[in-house]
Amino acid sequence: MTPATGISLKEPTISGAAADAEQLERARIDASTRVPVLMFYASAMVWLLIGTLLAGFVSFKLHAPDWMADVSFLTWGRLRPVHMNIMVYGWASMAAMGTAIWLMARLCRTTLRHPLLIVTGIWFWNIGVLIGVVAILMGYSTGYQWLEFPPYAALVLFVAYALIMSWAVLMFRFRRGNQIYITQWYLLGAFLWFPWLYAAAQAMLFVAPVQGVLQAAVGWWYGNNLLFLWFGTIALGTAYYMIPKVIGRPVYSYHLATIGFWTYALFSSWTGMQRLVDGPFPAWMITASIAATILTIIPVATVGLNHHMTMQGYFPVMRYSPTLRFTVFGAMSYTVFSVVGILISLRSTARYVHFTEATIAYSHMGFYAFFTMIIFGSMYYIVPRLVGREWRYATLIKLHFWASAYGVGLMSLMLLAGGFVQGSSEQSPSMPFIESAASVLPYLRGRTLAALLLTISHFIFAFHFGLMLFGLGRTSTVPTFLNPVEAEGSESPL
Amino acid sequence: MNDQPHNPSSLTRQGMDYGETADVHEVHAAIQREKREPRVGLEPLSIWLIAVYGLAIFTGGAYLGRYSGNFSGDGLDPLMGPPPAKKTAGGLAGGEQQVELSPRDRGKKIFSANCQTCHQANGQGVPGQYPPLAGSEFTTGGSRRPAMIVMKGLQGPVKVKGQQYGTAVMQPWDKTLTDQKIADVLTYERSEWGNQASPVTADQIATLRKELASHPESYTEPDILAVPADTELPGEASAGGAQPPKPGEAAKPAPPKPRG
Amino acid sequence: MKGLLPLFLGLFGTFAFSWVGLTVIPNMQIGALNPQMDEEGTDIYPMPKSGMAERGRRIYAANGCIYCHSQQVRPDYVSADLDRTRDAGPSPRPKWAGRRSAPRDYIFDRPVQLGQERMGPDLADIAKAAPGEEESPATVPAGTAPAASPAAPQSPAPRANVAATKPGVSAPPTTLPALQATGANPSPTPSPNGVPPAYSAAWHHRHLYSPRSMSPDNLDSTMPAYKFLYEKHQISGEPSANALQLTGPDAPPPGWEIVPSYDAKCLVAYLMSLHQSHPLKEVRSAGGAAPVPAASPPATPAGSPPPAPAKK
Repeated sequence: MTPATGISLKEPTISGAAADAEQLERARIDASTRVPVLMFYASAMVWLLIGTLLAGFVSFKLHAPDWMADVSFLTWGRLRPVHMNIMVYGWASMAAMGTAIWLMARLCRTTLRHPLLIVTGIWFWNIGVLIGVVAILMGYSTGYQWLEFPPYAALVLFVAYALIMSWAVLMFRFRRGNQIYITQWYLLGAFLWFPWLYAAAQAMLFVAPVQGVLQAAVGWWYGNNLLFLWFGTIALGTAYYMIPKVIGRPVYSYHLATIGFWTYALFSSWTGMQRLVDGPFPAWMITASIAATILTIIPVATVGLNHHMTMQGYFPVMRYSPTLRFTVFGAMSYTVFSVVGILISLRSTARYVHFTEATIAYSHMGFYAFFTMIIFGSMYYIVPRLVGREWRYATLIKLHFWASAYGVGLMSLMLLAGGFVQGSSEQSPSMPFIESAASVLPYLRGRTLAALLLTISHFIFAFHFGLMLFGLGRTSTVPTFLNPVEAEGSESPL
Repeated sequence: MNDQPHNPSSLTRQGMDYGETADVHEVHAAIQREKREPRVGLEPLSIWLIAVYGLAIFTGGAYLGRYSGNFSGDGLDPLMGPPPAKKTAGGLAGGEQQVELSPRDRGKKIFSANCQTCHQANGQGVPGQYPPLAGSEFTTGGSRRPAMIVMKGLQGPVKVKGQQYGTAVMQPWDKTLTDQKIADVLTYERSEWGNQASPVTADQIATLRKELASHPESYTEPDILAVPADTELPGEASAGGAQPPKPGEAAKPAPPKPRG
Repeated sequence: MKGLLPLFLGLFGTFAFSWVGLTVIPNMQIGALNPQMDEEGTDIYPMPKSGMAERGRRIYAANGCIYCHSQQVRPDYVSADLDRTRDAGPSPRPKWAGRRSAPRDYIFDRPVQLGQERMGPDLADIAKAAPGEEESPATVPAGTAPAASPAAPQSPAPRANVAATKPGVSAPPTTLPALQATGANPSPTPSPNGVPPAYSAAWHHRHLYSPRSMSPDNLDSTMPAYKFLYEKHQISGEPSANALQLTGPDAPPPGWEIVPSYDAKCLVAYLMSLHQSHPLKEVRSAGGAAPVPAASPPATPAGSPPPAPAKK
């Protein structure tokens, strides 16, 4: 497969000895990361399943509120933050940390020392999430979105994070080789930004609380930066690893990568206040965030171009490689999600979209279509290398992919459309409010359907992952392709 | 949440043998078929991309400039900026702020709230009960007399414009109104209903307040008449050294306009 | 990229830039606001809420009310918030609010409950919609925090007088549902279906207990029922003064009554304390109405209390 540019894509031949040494090194690294990363993934899968079931409840109860309504810990107002926090701190953070640790170890070309510390950290993190979840269900939620865990649960998470990430950063300190690869910038950024973010938010909301509306500003500064500086960076870093790794081609341009990284960090971190548009705030804060959102077109275009040109000529490989399929879907979703974000943030459209379900669509496009799909792709790549087996059923992978893709696509469409309908009808004061709220109900029912798809998808993946975990994958030298590979002329894509 | 226990025997069950042998064939197939670690190419930036950057920066910057409400903490409205700082009474364009009022206008509000019940909106008072302010010699003469009356109140019989009043008691206002408010209401009274007397400033009232600090009772007519009709309060307080004008001594001569 | 130090500085710098710009600088601008007061030092707005209402705020936050209800009013140039009227109650229905929200409205709120979504109406000024003599129960129970809510600028004395003249009420009621329960309510037009007057405390209790029973129009409401905030007791002797009046399938079996728990009372106290109609100098009132000070003017003796509800 030679693309139009005429650059030869064949791997330069490495001497036998070097190849052996390199593979051996990778084997050693994988062995050292095996237990922590699999524990991360296993914990994350459990939280994913719980969170997805809760997502179904939350979605269903929003349009059928009398179902199981009389129990205090099943009331919608408590289940919703539990769902959000389980997904963010239980599923997404743990899966992200698992992938990030494996990537960091591989890229630093150093084994993970003292994995027991990380394992302890994983237990603490799980305990912290559990404490927080139980606290919310019992009625002790703090009332700040994304920060509903009471401070004592947050403290446990801090301890866990210190145990986990100090070693990840130390791996970086002991890295071999001169160059710091793109993924490592992103991962290092994520490792540092998350604790700073979380600490700043906890300090400004609980330790030395800011006054009045600033609490909401700090809360959304935190929530938005969580998505971009913690999850988004790990997702982009993963994509920058997986795409060139799977297709065996270098990333298109170093300059694009540099510009993309720094503009991403700079502009994405300034967004967040647009969630408070037209609220009781000085207008410049809101406008600064909207302007920053407009400026995020720069990293979006840059990163998107970089990935696209890297993939140029290799898109057919998506037919075969689960990793590539999920990762490219996620990377493309980053573009779509960002463009949607710009469009709904502008003041002229925000008036129709604010206070509606459309913001939920935006959040889920970011957390699921972008972040989660890339992480799924990374799991499909990493898990075989840790358990020494291949994924057992290509059909299950395909089902997982399509159910997720359609699920998140349907959800986004339903909520964006519903949001606009709700927002437009709220703009006409002659319509009673109850009617404008009721106008979104059909779309919410559609969203429950999407939640059903996603539930199916996640249970399939969990089952498949469980098989791998218990050593029931395929023993084979050939990876699990999604579709049979044509025999002639093509080199193995994986 | 739980993982299977990790012990060496499980490794051999799975047929793995990591890191302890130099025999590469024991390294599992997934690693063997892996391509080398990713590396980066060096393609130059496209000019079109730079054009996109420029457009984005321009749009973002323009948006920021237009909708920022002057970057002030009070600017809740993105288009209009903050309420302007308190200046001397000047008209200002719309916005979300009450229009800045002149001392006369402020005085009018204070009058309506406090004085109007007795002295009436037209300043004519009520015959026999409340003296008028319109055309009153007390109001329009030197500023000292009306200031004293407003500060400390007045009781007992008093003759204004040839008419006798005296059944009502005027309360002292020094405790309930600030210097600025007393000054404003006096300014209003002295320029309304055809009155044309000089305005009064808050500093003047402040000075008077200090002077009268030890004078608790309200005044009676003889007290007021003891002060010459044209006595003005000392001018803009150049703080400190201003001696309160003694009765009979005018610090700021003003053309006397006795009426009635 | 070579070099760890430039990388680290860059990471720190971009983060610090965002942190300073979006949290520290706004904190310098609006982080130390004081309540507005006029020159006599009276008419202070906003005031901290009483103990029951503060507890109610925590219950509001803990039960996730913020995920459906906002508490911020947008200005008229981007929304219809200032033209919109409430859905319940007799015509003319009260408006959502008299002006947009400003930072000063929230200086005593912790946690601040601005809200991000409106599956339910905005609540910033919900207490204004309450019928006139309905007052925040926060001011009535003795022994709670002394700070008066802005709903009670008038002295409580006229309230007690009004209550005392009602037949059948011997002692000042401890909660407002009592006024409703005794049926002694001069407010006009009791709604069909036995629903208490719109946006009164009793109305809030019933709405929390069974949102879809409020009136024929509320069937589309997706608000969850907060039945767990209420207790079911057997009636011993007389029905309790604050028992909920329920009809239809929600009504308890004969001999039983539903009473609010302390949490429910606090939550309703909080709802009844949500005011944002006091004018603020920095915000234009809708329609350019002149600010009406809520405090009674000084030195007017308290005469007989006006029987008509004070219109805010």
